[in-house]
Amino acid sequence: MLEQLKDTIKKALPELDFVIGWGMGFDALHATPLFMYEPEDVDKLVWGPLNVHNLATYLPALKGRKVGIVVKGCDSRSVAELLQENLINREDVVIFGAPCRGTVSLTKIRKVIGNTGLIEDVNYADGTLTVKAEGASHEMALKDIRADKCGYCRFPNAVLSDHFVGEKRAPQVEEDTFEDLAEFESQPFEERRDFWMKEMDRCIRCYACRNACPLCVCRDHCVAQSRDPHWLSQQDGVRDKFMFQIIHATHLAGRCTTCGECERACPVDIPVLLFKRKFTKAIKDTFDYDAGLDPEATPPLLAFKANEDNIKEKEW
Amino acid sequence: MTKMKNPYLPEMATIQEIIQETHNIKTFRVTLNNEQSMKNFSFEPGQVGQLSVFGVGESTFVINSSPTRMDYLQFSVMAAGEVTQRLHTMQVGDEIGVRAPLGNWFPYEKMKGKDIVIVGGGIGMAPLRTLLLYMIDNRDDYGKITVIYGARTPQDLTYSYEFEEWRAAKDLNLVLTVDNEAPGWEHKVGLIPNVLLEESPSPDNTVAITCGPPIMIKFTLEALKKLGFEDENIYTTLEKRMKCGIGLCGRCNIGTSYVCVDGPVYSFAKLKTLPNEL
Amino acid sequence: MAKYLKKDDLGSWLKELGETYKVIAPVEEGDAVVFRRLTDERTLRIDRQATQGPKGVLFPACEELVSFKYVKDPENPEKTKVEVKETVEAEPTLIFGARPCDARGFDVFDGAFTKCAVKDNYYMARREQAIVVSLACTKTETTCFCNWVGGSPDGTGGSDVLLTPVTGGYLVEAVTDKGEALMGGKLLSDADDARQAEAKKLLQEAKDSLREAPDFDCMPEQLYALFDNMDFWEKQSAKCISCGACTYLCPTCHCFNITDEQQGKEGSRIRSWDNCMSHMFTNEASGHNPRPTKAYRLKNRVGHKFCYFPDMHDGHIACVGCGRCIKSCPVALDIREVVTAAKECRLPEEETSDD
Repeated sequence: MLEQLKDTIKKALPELDFVIGWGMGFDALHATPLFMYEPEDVDKLVWGPLNVHNLATYLPALKGRKVGIVVKGCDSRSVAELLQENLINREDVVIFGAPCRGTVSLTKIRKVIGNTGLIEDVNYADGTLTVKAEGASHEMALKDIRADKCGYCRFPNAVLSDHFVGEKRAPQVEEDTFEDLAEFESQPFEERRDFWMKEMDRCIRCYACRNACPLCVCRDHCVAQSRDPHWLSQQDGVRDKFMFQIIHATHLAGRCTTCGECERACPVDIPVLLFKRKFTKAIKDTFDYDAGLDPEATPPLLAFKANEDNIKEKEW
Repeated sequence: MTKMKNPYLPEMATIQEIIQETHNIKTFRVTLNNEQSMKNFSFEPGQVGQLSVFGVGESTFVINSSPTRMDYLQFSVMAAGEVTQRLHTMQVGDEIGVRAPLGNWFPYEKMKGKDIVIVGGGIGMAPLRTLLLYMIDNRDDYGKITVIYGARTPQDLTYSYEFEEWRAAKDLNLVLTVDNEAPGWEHKVGLIPNVLLEESPSPDNTVAITCGPPIMIKFTLEALKKLGFEDENIYTTLEKRMKCGIGLCGRCNIGTSYVCVDGPVYSFAKLKTLPNEL
Repeated sequence: MAKYLKKDDLGSWLKELGETYKVIAPVEEGDAVVFRRLTDERTLRIDRQATQGPKGVLFPACEELVSFKYVKDPENPEKTKVEVKETVEAEPTLIFGARPCDARGFDVFDGAFTKCAVKDNYYMARREQAIVVSLACTKTETTCFCNWVGGSPDGTGGSDVLLTPVTGGYLVEAVTDKGEALMGGKLLSDADDARQAEAKKLLQEAKDSLREAPDFDCMPEQLYALFDNMDFWEKQSAKCISCGACTYLCPTCHCFNITDEQQGKEGSRIRSWDNCMSHMFTNEASGHNPRPTKAYRLKNRVGHKFCYFPDMHDGHIACVGCGRCIKSCPVALDIREVVTAAKECRLPEEETSDD
């Protein structure tokens, strides 16, 4: 399948400035975004559970250039959402899709093997990832170490693509039941508050969560640092850090596809996707809407409907 | 434990006088609250200071009064960002913070005995005014002085109330210009670099100092080169986003040169040795 | 004379030191390891490199420079006066479990903040009261490259005491006079030759496990020559997402912002970490930005570390090779690749001369 994908990209490459995919990074466990300018660059392309990044993040800044992008199912939803919001032009982007079996969580792998800094070799076959580190070999079932989002994935195949390579896979689940969220929310308020106080305290305000987010498009003009408006102080406290997460999640309500880049990008492992899960469920419950499935749809909070189906304010 | 002067701690100062220069430029004359500090305060022409509005922040301005006239320190402020806009709302008697002097200065010692050409555009006249007043107050040390000062309109010229004093100085030629004809305007009309070429000052034993918007500096430099000025005889003073003003915070560097410490005054010969990142 | 500390006694030793110093050490927090004040509730984690180094102990993510308060002038109630106070704070602090690369970061800070025309009194006050007890590396990670930039798994730069893990405990060696003061503890015994030999062997193995170091002497010249080659910098920065993870986790990055925060009549002028990868860092009020895109900003980051800083500080590279910017980068951008590519990039002039 990978070879077929490479051939497809090579064929399209002459018409494009470049194609963005994944290559291997600094060791056998860490992939890295690969910008393919020449056919020989395409030979470095990899496909598999290590392709953790959502490359759609790069697209808004490339608006106006003709580029190609390789997508997993979840990534394709971000592309669809960007199209919905006119943040990219459909004719500028060539989408290469392939079926996804899920991607790893490097944090979970670290929990299994102790230190992901000592990797010697990695192999993936038939749902099992084998990691050799410090002379020892660790076999892990993908389902045990995959990103949480893959557990409730309904779209393993690109929801839109110009070229789809490989055989489409069946979704993990038919319905997202938000069990993760329910479990968290089953805790009393004090515990949840203490949890966030502790987790957010570690935030270094690098804004990797924001910059990795394909739909966080204020980019260089973010309220996090702006003085006008001056909504957040630069004080190093949980209050401002938490406030930023709430602003981020609120801005993404009805737009977020829960691709999980915010959480994956966090260098200090703060589970910030949980905020977006909460909003995603609220949007689902209120508007029965899933973000990033239909490039023609309008996100519910960007639209006005005189009589909402699930908000019966006239009956209040 | 080391007890040292805190370079981040501003001195408190009081606004003594405010002059509305143009629609968006005000000049503030301030004195340090501590009389001893004011008495001992010394600086060189071209050095800058950080003005504080507490609660809003700091911003960098050249001290555009002359060290030869120490009744007050003068700063001209164009309303652009958060601090400058707030400064514009302040009144005589209000307190601000001052961290000064910072940075380097015009090599006025090296300029002694030479003819001087000063080319200023808009608010860029502020640092040049310092040097000009210093030279007027030490008139015999310098040769012929030519000042070419331009702005978009006559209303955009700062320090117009001083032009007579400048002109009264011995052997000083003040040439004013605006971009377009305007009612009652009796001076030159045209862009500064063109007026400079028209005036055509000789480069022999002459130093040129220029300051203004980047595009004006670019074409003024070309004009000066056309007139035969060497890079080492052309000076300018640069503006960059600054925070600490003491070479530590890391944003105003051009390669190894920190504009807040090694600048703001540069010769074009020096600028040519630095990476191209203005 | 090298000392020996039993592994089982480490906790007691740190507790003992805690009577004199505020002890800051790498502890587990969520899924990360960060430097925090060591308390009974916290779990010391020195088996892997901390997610974030100890830089924040001496250069906090945020600190108050001055506090201010608007008050009515008692002589003239119509008028408001501003009371301004400086707030330099420092207390005796012991940083435990820094890696040699982390400690070497303080060398760079010392250069940047204390060996310059105007010194940073806030950093200096903390630095003078701090003692750094580092832990030599007997294992190296795939992202480690301290040997490329003048460091070593047992480097002592920036440290006052160096511990080396050996069987059953640690070899403890004083590096500075400050560190010598710690050698008298009753839990420390003289280290015998066998232990010293073991430490030497382990450290040699660690050194041998690192990738061969390229020669970076040519880097300043090479980076100046590449300055206007924006095609090079655009390709190198293509995958960068312009966040601040690399700079905030970097033991040497020391850029900062100063902002005023006011609540009611009172407020603080604070200094907080800032980073050159951000658009706002150099954006001017006029809208002009000398580093308008991420390509310019990555160029500045690499340039500062491998060109400008060495030019200003006797060739000392402002990178300690800890590898955090690589492994914690959301897109695994590898600074080793950028610098190596810069080193190997054939300059247009050379190409012309070859023709």
